[in-house]
Amino acid sequence: MMINKLCNYLNLAKEYVRLNMLAQLEYKGAFAAQIIGMVINDGTWLSFWCLFFSRFPALRGWDVKDVITMWAVAAAGFGLAYGICGNALRLPGLIAKGQLDAWMLYPPALLPHLLFGKMVATCWGDALFGIGIYIIFVRPDIAHLALFLVLVLSTAILFVGFGILCGSLGFYLGNSQGLSQQWHDATITFSTYPATLFDGSIKLILFTLIPAGFISFCPVEALRQFSWQFTLASFAGAVIFLILGTVIFYHGLSRYESGNLMEMRG
Amino acid sequence: MNFFSKYLWIALTAARSNMAYIGEVSSRFIFLGVILYIFMRLWQVTYHETSASQLGGLTLTQMMWYLTITEAISLSATKVAQEVDEDVRNGTLAVQLTKPISYVLYRLATSLGERTIIFSMNLLIGAIIANTMVGSTPLSLAGLLLLACTLPLAFLLDFLGNFIIGLAAFWLEDTSGLALIYSRITWILGGLLIPLELFPYWLQPLVKALPFASMIYGPAKIFVAPDINNFVEIISRQIMASLAFSICLIILYRIALRRVFANGG
Amino acid sequence: MIPAVELKNLKKEFVVLKRKGLWREKSTVVAVDDVTFSVGKGDSVAFIGPNGAGKSTTIKMLTGILHPTAGSASVLGFCPWKERSQLARQIGAVFGQRSQLWYHLPPKDTFELLARIYNLDLRDFTKRRDMLIERFALSAFLSTPVRKLSLGQRMRAEVAASLLHKPEALFLDEPTIGLDVVARQELRDLIREWNRDEGLTVFLTSHDAGDIEHVAKRVIVINHGRVVIDNQVSVMKRSFLGTKIIHIKFHEEPSLTSLEEMHGVSVAHASAYILKLEVDTEKTAIEKTIHAVLAAGPVADITIEDPPLEKVISHIYAQGLQTTNLDQGRGISEI
Repeated sequence: MMINKLCNYLNLAKEYVRLNMLAQLEYKGAFAAQIIGMVINDGTWLSFWCLFFSRFPALRGWDVKDVITMWAVAAAGFGLAYGICGNALRLPGLIAKGQLDAWMLYPPALLPHLLFGKMVATCWGDALFGIGIYIIFVRPDIAHLALFLVLVLSTAILFVGFGILCGSLGFYLGNSQGLSQQWHDATITFSTYPATLFDGSIKLILFTLIPAGFISFCPVEALRQFSWQFTLASFAGAVIFLILGTVIFYHGLSRYESGNLMEMRG
Repeated sequence: MNFFSKYLWIALTAARSNMAYIGEVSSRFIFLGVILYIFMRLWQVTYHETSASQLGGLTLTQMMWYLTITEAISLSATKVAQEVDEDVRNGTLAVQLTKPISYVLYRLATSLGERTIIFSMNLLIGAIIANTMVGSTPLSLAGLLLLACTLPLAFLLDFLGNFIIGLAAFWLEDTSGLALIYSRITWILGGLLIPLELFPYWLQPLVKALPFASMIYGPAKIFVAPDINNFVEIISRQIMASLAFSICLIILYRIALRRVFANGG
Repeated sequence: MIPAVELKNLKKEFVVLKRKGLWREKSTVVAVDDVTFSVGKGDSVAFIGPNGAGKSTTIKMLTGILHPTAGSASVLGFCPWKERSQLARQIGAVFGQRSQLWYHLPPKDTFELLARIYNLDLRDFTKRRDMLIERFALSAFLSTPVRKLSLGQRMRAEVAASLLHKPEALFLDEPTIGLDVVARQELRDLIREWNRDEGLTVFLTSHDAGDIEHVAKRVIVINHGRVVIDNQVSVMKRSFLGTKIIHIKFHEEPSLTSLEEMHGVSVAHASAYILKLEVDTEKTAIEKTIHAVLAAGPVADITIEDPPLEKVISHIYAQGLQTTNLDQGRGISEI
C-alpha cells in the first residue's frame, strides 16, 4: 500500500517535471540563457578555488579535487532539489498571499503536491554544472560516480527538507522573507566551503542549526574514503531535516486552516 | 552652476531613497558576517598551514581588510546595465540620442548617488565585523584617504563598463547574460576573492593591466598598504581605462545612432 | 434524499491583531455567524452577497480549506475539513480570476496532468476527455497554448478541465467575469446543461445577475455572515431581477408625460437633459419603454443596465422580506 502511494507520488512528480520542462522549453532561448548564466555564476567560484589551490596545494588535508567534489555535490544537489521542488523556495510568499488554498482543493497530500508545482529553471544549470565538473575535473571511476549520484540525492533531500523548514516560518512570522531567506542563504553559503575549516562549536552548528556540514563534509569524506558510514551520515542528516521540515509545515498549516495568521487573508 | 546642481540633486535624491531600507542593513550585516567569517577561517588556516606571516605581501589582518573592501565595492554594484537596456528598448534612449551627454550624466548621477550610500553602508558594516575579527592595527588614515581618492574613478569605470553592456540592447535580444558575464569577469580578474599578488606569477602583469583591477583590486590594495607610487600607478591606470571605455562608448553610441535612424527608431 | 451539502450552525471567528504603537490589540471578527442551509443533489445554487459578507469564508469551509469555530458541515457525505483529500476527488472548482490551466502550455497538457493528479484510469480518462472536448467544442484550440486563447475559449477549457474527474459538485467563482456577451451565454448554457442532464450539483458565486438568472435555480444571499435570503430564483426574479435602469441624455428638454404614465416605469432622477428610469420589465417590456424614450425627445446617449447587486440586496432590506428556507431534502425546484 505504501509502495503504491510512493509510486503515485513519484509519477506525480514525473508529470510535473514533464510539464514544467515543456513550459520552460516554450521559451528555449530564455531557458538556455538561464542555465548558461548559472553555469557561469558557479564557474566563478570554481575559478577562485583553482587560483587558490594553484598557490596553496592543500587545505587541512583537502586538495583541489576534494573542494571540487564538495562544490559538485552541493551544486548538483541544489539543482536537483529546487529543479523538482521549486516551491520549497517560495513558501513564505505563498503562505502570506493565501495561495495554499488553490493547492488544497486537490486530492494529493498538500506538501509534496505543492512542492512539485514549480520548477526553478536556473537550477538545471547548477545540476549540469555539478555533475559536469565532477566528471571532468575529478575523473571518477564507475563506483565513485555511482556513489556521487547517491550523495547528490541525499543533498537534494536535505535542501528540500531545510527549504521547507525555513519556508514554514512563514506560518508564524508572516511574510518573513528576510529572516528565513537569510537563514537559508547562510546555510547554502556554508555548504560551499569545506567544513574542515571550522572547529569546535561552529562545527557543531554546521550539523545542527545550519546543516551545511551534511553537504560540505560528509559526502566529500564518503567519496574520499569510499565510506558507507559517511554516506549513511549524509542521509541521516537529510532525512532528519526532511521530517523536521514536514512536521513544522503541517503544524503551521493548522494555524493557516484556522485562519489566524498574523496577516489576515482575504 | 545650474547644470551641476541639477545632477547633484538627482544624485542626492537617489541616495536618499536608498536610506529608507533599514531592513537592508540587518540582512547585509548577516550576509557580510557570514562570508567574512568564512574568509577569515579560510585565510587563518592557510596562513597557519604555510607558516607564513605574509602572503602576497599582506598579513592576515591586511588580507581580511582587503577582502572587506572588495566585498563592499562589489556588493554596491548598481543595475546600470539593466536600466540602460530598458531605456534602449522602451525608446527613452532613442529620444535622447541627439543630446546624449545629458542622458549619460543623468545615469551617472543616479548610479553614483546610490552606489556611494550602499558602499558606505557596506564599508561601515564590514569594518565593524572585520575589526571584531582581526582588529585594525595596520590601518592608517593615509590608507583611508587614498581609498577615498581611488573610489570615484573606480565607480566611474564600472559605470562605463555597465553602460556599454546596456547599449548592446540595440543589437541583442537579451543583455542580461552579457551583464552577468561582465560582472563575474570583473570579480575574478578584479581580485574580489583573492588579491592579484596570489595569482600565478605569469598572469599577474596581464591581470593588473586590465581595467577590472582598477575597479576592485586597486582601491582595496591601496587601503591596506598605502604607498604613494602604487597610488599614482592605480590612478593613472584608472584614468587610462576610463578614457578607453569612454571612447568605446562614444563609438558604440555613434553606431547605435546610425542604426536608430536607419530603422526609424 | 440525502442532501449534497448540509451546513448546520456554521460559525467562523477570526482573531485579528491590530498594532497600536507597541501594543497589539486583539479583536474578534465574526465572518460567518450561524449559517444553516442544505443543498440537494443536482441543485444549482447561486451564493451571493456583497464583498466581506462571509461568502468566501463559507466556501472555504465547505471545501475544507478553513476550519470553523463552531457548527458542522457535510459535503457529499464528507466533513470537509477532516476529509479534505477524499472530498477533493468529488468536487471541481472553477475560478474566473485564477486559472488551473498552465499558461504557456496547450490545454491538453493540463488535462494530462489532471489525470495524474486525480489518479484516473487511462481508458476512463481518454473517453471522458474526448467527450468533454466534443461537448465544450475544444478541439479547435486543444493544442494551442493557453496564453494565445481568448478568454471565452479559456473559460470553456477551464470548466471542462474541472469536470475531467467526474466530480459530483462544481464550485464556480465569478466564471463569466470579463467575458463578452456571446461567450458568457455559451458558458452559462454549458453549465446549466451539465446541471440538468448530468445531475451535477452547481454552487455558483457571482456578482453578475445574468449568471444567477441563467444558471441557478436557487439563490442564497449572505450578508454580515448570515443567510438573509434563501429562495428560488424565480421568486427573486419576479421581485427584483426584472428591473432595468436606463440612463438617457437628451439634446433638448424631453417631454416626460408619456413615460410617467407607463406602468412599471419610475423616474429615478430627472434634471435638464438627463433622465434616469427604473423599469420593471415584468410590467412593461423594455422595447416599449425604449420606444417611449425615443419619442420623448432627441436622444444623445442611452445606457441600459441591470441594477447593481448591492442595490438589490439593500432593496431586500428596505422591503423587509422574510427569509424562506427550502424544506430539507427537496432537491429539484419548480420553475
